[in-house]
Amino acid sequence: MKSKKILTTVLAFAMVATLALGCSSKETDKSNEGEDQKKSVKLVFWGGVPADAGPQNVVDTWNKANPDVQVEYNRFVNDDEGNLKLDTALITNQAVDVYFSYNVPRLQKRVDAGTALNLKDFKDYDIEDKMGPSALDWKIGEDYYAIPTTKNVYMIWLNDNLLKEHNLAVPTAWTWSEMQEYANKLKTDKRYGLVQFLESYADPMDSILSQFGETKADGTSNLDHPGIATWLTTLNEMMGTGATAPLGEQLTSKMPVETMFLKGEAAMLNAGPYIFRSSNNLTENPREFKIAFAPVPRITEDPAEHKQRNGLGDGLTINPKSKHVDEAWAFSRWYADEGVMLMAAGGRVPSSKDVDREAAVKLMIEGVEDLYDVDSLQNVLFEQENTFTRKTPQQVLDLRREEYEKFFIGSQQLEQTINNMVKRHNDYLKQ
Amino acid sequence: MKNNWIKRQRLTGYVFVAPNMIGVLVFFILPALFSLVLVFTNWQFGSQSMNFIGVKNITRLFKDPVFYISLKNTLIFLASVPISLMLAFIVAVVLNKSVYFKGLLRVLYFMPYITSGVATAFVWMLLFQPSQGPINGFLRSIGIENPPGWLATTTTSMFAIDIIWIWFMLGYFMIIYLAALQEVPAELQEAAKMDGAGTYKTIRHVMLPMVSPTTFMLLISGLIMTIKTFGIIQAITQGGPGNSTTILSLFVYKTAFSYYEMGYASTISWALFIIIVLITAVQWIGQKKWVHY
Repeated sequence: MKSKKILTTVLAFAMVATLALGCSSKETDKSNEGEDQKKSVKLVFWGGVPADAGPQNVVDTWNKANPDVQVEYNRFVNDDEGNLKLDTALITNQAVDVYFSYNVPRLQKRVDAGTALNLKDFKDYDIEDKMGPSALDWKIGEDYYAIPTTKNVYMIWLNDNLLKEHNLAVPTAWTWSEMQEYANKLKTDKRYGLVQFLESYADPMDSILSQFGETKADGTSNLDHPGIATWLTTLNEMMGTGATAPLGEQLTSKMPVETMFLKGEAAMLNAGPYIFRSSNNLTENPREFKIAFAPVPRITEDPAEHKQRNGLGDGLTINPKSKHVDEAWAFSRWYADEGVMLMAAGGRVPSSKDVDREAAVKLMIEGVEDLYDVDSLQNVLFEQENTFTRKTPQQVLDLRREEYEKFFIGSQQLEQTINNMVKRHNDYLKQ
Repeated sequence: MKNNWIKRQRLTGYVFVAPNMIGVLVFFILPALFSLVLVFTNWQFGSQSMNFIGVKNITRLFKDPVFYISLKNTLIFLASVPISLMLAFIVAVVLNKSVYFKGLLRVLYFMPYITSGVATAFVWMLLFQPSQGPINGFLRSIGIENPPGWLATTTTSMFAIDIIWIWFMLGYFMIIYLAALQEVPAELQEAAKMDGAGTYKTIRHVMLPMVSPTTFMLLISGLIMTIKTFGIIQAITQGGPGNSTTILSLFVYKTAFSYYEMGYASTISWALFIIIVLITAVQWIGQKKWVHY
């Protein structure tokens, strides 16, 4: 009995001692932390690009040059779940100092939630002067809440060898019906003429709407614009002839369009420069063909009526609850003018006029220059005018997608598709 | 003196249940009440303003065509539960008898239930692939020229999801049925045999009534589990093509976490809750006619 008591007492002492040690070591840590904090500020920077595709290089370069402001990169996946994670972290005041908003509707929500800092007080950086008139698309009300740091370029990636085999020139401007002709000539039983990412599938629709307005003068939906019907019909015909992948097939197989293009299973790919991450990696994606580039084709015959989805992107945003707003601003400014250059190899096209664009292109294709048609790349990256930034709310993107999917897989006719889109869009506008 | 002792006893009891009750209150009851308040607001996730808009969300729900499509799809999805129960019972009856590789077959049937849902979802996507998938390959080889598009068409996609869900739940239902069948007294089966009942009649009039409480429990829990699930559909079709596989739970998820419309999402959630309560109540009332305790 007595020995049991002694054992209990010893155990109790041991527990108390452990706790006390734990607390004391923590306190020691805290005091050290306090000293470290005096020495350097830590910023947490959230972005959607994998760390090894550029951001880590950015952070390392900054940290080396700025020992007093150390930045740590935290990746979130740029989808609904990833953005929800970021928004939750922002609202609950977790460690977020600087982060990317990848499109304007999301930035708008963050402005409404009070989690994006108004940049009007920072007079030392003129966003419009640096980024050009396209920056206006990123204005929320009268102010900027993010620095759009990259040019969102969408282009058609072409298998140049196949083009030459079929005596087809690299287009510098073209229409969807001309691209359809190209796709018809380039397709075989084992190769599609064109494949596309689902994200940019409806760009022709947005191009029409950005040119002619999302709504008519009476405030009702403009989704019955004849250009939209032209796009739906053209793409549907292409699916029917095998010139492009049928949508049903693409959806159910989660078609890896990027790999298909790089393997030669598709002659053309509608995508952005982010493909450089894969196309430069010849170990994982070996290829012998050269890649040329064409602008995304227009629906309208008249080039003046065409708008290209080549606006600005990657809006660098500061959390207003950050304890180090000034340091976050210094980092953002540096990133927009210099740091972004380190993202070029990962397929990010810098938007600041201070960036040497030719050098950025060189970085983008460094080591594999022979496998690209550099002139056509320069043309699509920097010569496109009359652009737009997609600002369509997710609800509208989804309701349109649900209807055109039904059309492309053959469960509803064109007229019904247009009517349903218009009706649902009008219902949304009334909310 | 006795009163004090009773008070102390009660207090001790409350102290013991307090941690659990606080957990229930904080994590279940308060969020549920908060979501009920949200039904009458237009609150967007993260937004600093919350305006009371009366019953606008409810009227919007009744006018929303996607709600009705989701409701229809949910009912088709729920049909998978009785089908799965029926198949599970048949498999359990077979495996309850002396068959070759009984142990192996039990494990094989149970495997889907313990396998990662997302991984199996991708396998099923490959199996259902319309042009090059093995299922349609087999159908073509036996002379069916135009096999179904499965997940690729709006008319068949929900049924394809049902097949996957039946396959997923079959093992779990079967294991529970096996346990229940082993509780059926052998003398009852022997008595039925002596009275001239064949295999079918023994199953129909002895085994089925004896396992009816299990069937009832599985039916209720299966329907509730099915009505609440959305992960497997999110992984396979994200509710498409079109909105042909959007069920109510997925509709709630999209509205809340893609559009951040918390007020409207709460309204759909409460509609879903009412549907679950109604289905459970109907079963509870109906059970008196077919469940034998």
